[in-house]
Amino acid sequence: MAGKKGTPIFSSREDANFREALKLFDSKQYKKALKLVEANLKKNSSHSESIALKGCCYYHTGNQDEAEAYILKAVQKSPENYLVDHLAGIYYRSVENYEEAAKWLKQSNDNGSPNKPILRDLSFMQTQIRDYKNLKDSRQQYLENQPGFRANWTGVAVALHLNKEYSNAVSTLVKIEGIIKDYLTEADRYEQSECVLYKNSIIAESGDISKALETLESDKDEIRDGLSFLEYKAKYLLMLGKNQEASVEYRKLLQRNPDNVGYYNLLEVSLGSISKPIDTRIKLYNRLSKFYPKSDPPKFLPLTFVPGSHESFKDLAKAYILPQLRRGVPATFVNVKPLYKNHKKLKAIESIVLEFFENDIKQLDPTVFVWTKYFLAQHYLYLNDLKSASTHIDDAINHSPTLVELYIIKAKILKHQKEYIKASEIMNEGRELDLQDRFINTKATKYYFRANKVDEAIECISLFTKIEDGSVNGNKDLHLMQANWALVETAEAYTRLYHEYQSKLSELKESEESNEEVEKELGENIELYRGLALKRYNWIIKIFKTYYNDQYDFHSYCMRRGTPRDYIETLKWEDKIHTTPIYIRVLKGLSNIYFELYNEQLLAKAEEEDDSSATKKQKNKKQKKVKAQANKKRSELIAKVEAEKDDTDPLGQKVVSDLLDSDIIESLFVLIKPLIDEGKDLRLTWEVLFKIYLIQGKYVLALQAIKNLNRILSRNEPIKLASIGTRVIELSDTLAKDNNVNVAIAKVVEKGINSAFPEFEQLSKSEFLQIYSK
Amino acid sequence: MARDIISLDDLTVNNVGVFKKINQVVLPTTYSEEWYKESLEADQIVKLAFYSELPVGAVKAKTINSSHKIVSYENMQQQQINSKIIPNAIYIESLAVLKAYRGLGIGKKLLQFIIEQSKTRFVHEILLHVHVDNTESIEWYEKQGFTKSQDIIKDYYKAQGLENPDAYILSLTV
Repeated sequence: MAGKKGTPIFSSREDANFREALKLFDSKQYKKALKLVEANLKKNSSHSESIALKGCCYYHTGNQDEAEAYILKAVQKSPENYLVDHLAGIYYRSVENYEEAAKWLKQSNDNGSPNKPILRDLSFMQTQIRDYKNLKDSRQQYLENQPGFRANWTGVAVALHLNKEYSNAVSTLVKIEGIIKDYLTEADRYEQSECVLYKNSIIAESGDISKALETLESDKDEIRDGLSFLEYKAKYLLMLGKNQEASVEYRKLLQRNPDNVGYYNLLEVSLGSISKPIDTRIKLYNRLSKFYPKSDPPKFLPLTFVPGSHESFKDLAKAYILPQLRRGVPATFVNVKPLYKNHKKLKAIESIVLEFFENDIKQLDPTVFVWTKYFLAQHYLYLNDLKSASTHIDDAINHSPTLVELYIIKAKILKHQKEYIKASEIMNEGRELDLQDRFINTKATKYYFRANKVDEAIECISLFTKIEDGSVNGNKDLHLMQANWALVETAEAYTRLYHEYQSKLSELKESEESNEEVEKELGENIELYRGLALKRYNWIIKIFKTYYNDQYDFHSYCMRRGTPRDYIETLKWEDKIHTTPIYIRVLKGLSNIYFELYNEQLLAKAEEEDDSSATKKQKNKKQKKVKAQANKKRSELIAKVEAEKDDTDPLGQKVVSDLLDSDIIESLFVLIKPLIDEGKDLRLTWEVLFKIYLIQGKYVLALQAIKNLNRILSRNEPIKLASIGTRVIELSDTLAKDNNVNVAIAKVVEKGINSAFPEFEQLSKSEFLQIYSK
Repeated sequence: MARDIISLDDLTVNNVGVFKKINQVVLPTTYSEEWYKESLEADQIVKLAFYSELPVGAVKAKTINSSHKIVSYENMQQQQINSKIIPNAIYIESLAVLKAYRGLGIGKKLLQFIIEQSKTRFVHEILLHVHVDNTESIEWYEKQGFTKSQDIIKDYYKAQGLENPDAYILSLTV
């Protein structure tokens, strides 16, 4: 029995046993620990420490499902026993439930645990769940316990910084700098430099730029990262309006790296040349390109600010483009593409290249002919003049059929003509010219996916994956290596495939030529590819969870290594991780499937009553016959598509059936939820949320979603979009049909609609839609 | 001076597709998959030619004993020299340069390579078949010092579906 609050007394024999078991647990001998604990519980079934430890042992010995029950039982029995609390914290950390883990670790500490490393673990959990307020305390308490390590001081400073307590953060860093000053060895210099720069960035973030500059100068000897020093200094000088001095620093930076476009821009800001006449600016870049003859920006940047109508544009553009064509720079077109947003410049460049092709090409190397044709093909592709683009690329291929790049553009043109299969074949023709070219291998794979040829795609990419013993392809490696692009392409291809089968099936059903065999096969294919699509999408969701959980190790590592600046960057990146474009693509694909499944779920419910059991039995009989042959085919299929070795649900059947048994819309909401914070400005967020809220009857939120969507789509201009109008009508109609809705809420929504979209009240629905038709 | 704009390089499993492509677009005759596969083996006389790092030409040859009678193209392609027979010539199976890159010395460089090979193999004759209508090639070979045989090999290219399927033998003594 636990004794007074916070002081478990090891009086009995059980407690001695328990301590022994704890030691075994710490040394990872879970089975032995479990034996001791179970012996304990036989004698005293209410020994809560033992119960908790049993839960922890269960987790490690393969009884994951039962583990939590023991933890819950133990904390219910003795919530104030710090050992029990600690064990609960350890358990929840192992299952990556950081919220609960933080709760119990804090409890353990509050209940007087003498084990101080708890505080350190606690601070990791708190950072993981972004509980910055409490993080401050735990980092501070741990520092008081272990003030001898710089990492702990840095940890406190980071915690204060995350709470925006800038001056406290700075003074913490200053304090440890002072303490450690005389003891720094050469090995500590990197950490010292990083911490000093970190301190400086906090001062600047707090808004006191002149102090930041002053500190930077006085810390100069401590700073080993010369680039950051210069960048900080130049930025501060510019912010303080000391432009002349700033320009000197930017020139120094250009000397270090004359290919950084940002430095040129900032140099111009500091020189104030942006508002000066164009000729002055051209002269500036002329000088710069003499200093840095091998760099691209000083040659290119004038083309961005000299207007297309300016007399010198053509000469400048010629001087930029033609040498690249002569040298056969493959990226020539890509280099000038940013200028194409301006139509005059586009036309000027077009005439330059065409004239060059007319007049000069014959006297030059044959390679110049190809690269110029290659340029022209891309040019016309950009203009969506696919016919001219094809002519140029075919000329180029006839001329030099061994140049891989040409096939990429040819395939791209075909893709724009929606000839996906042909495009994939051309891309593959290019790939076969150079099998070790990773780029075109990837392209060919992608084009196969776009043509819905999943098997060919996987086979193609398998040239560059690891293929384990007994595997037929590299599919498992793509999963293991987190090749998100390949997985998302696979998922989208599977989705297109099952949609194709779906429309075939509905065509067949409409034609009244009912053919059970064919229908059954189509049905199976729909099920198969939908399951696989879901499975691929879900895998990417899982990978992003891993990305998020992976930051855990850095909460301690970055403090010890002394890289707080990069650590803060990492945290910021993790905070936005769900808006990564590929993740958005996944959510888009998933939400479509979820809504489809939801509709099926509704249909199934409606049909449930009509469904006679007789028809079901008949089906079963037939199925058995085919099963034997199907089994072999099935195992071949599984070998091709399984995501990991011994995949328990290789075809995603369980994923689908679990979803159909659950509240699909709620599951979708859980997926979309992070975007409410992270992806406020993304169209997808509000489109999906609108649908979800409408289904869930949360009409106020649905209206809010329309408003947000309107804000994003109209970009604050008074455009009246059809996509908004139809949603307003949909909301109003759904609200009118809903008999269960609270009258007060219905009023609020109606009022809300009328104030946000005043025309709705004044006009009829069709008139309203006429106005909202952009 | 910078590196020579024309260079020769080995055929590898990764660029054999280039070799196929060049033969396919330049030569009227076809070669089997096995023939390309075989060209990757270690003892083969084969090279790719690059112009400004772009593959534009290729040559493949093998040692033969010229006393054997050859009646057709296919027969020639399949023929492997028996290890007991001493070779007395190098036979050029394919030599091709993309049309747009002719007249730049690429073919010459490839032929040069074959001549060097004949020296290391102690043979003094280089042989090849050429389609009777292919005057451009015949002229080119003659310019390189080859002499045309008097008699025509009748129907040498018959199975290749060429019009007028006869061939000359061109030879060079080195």
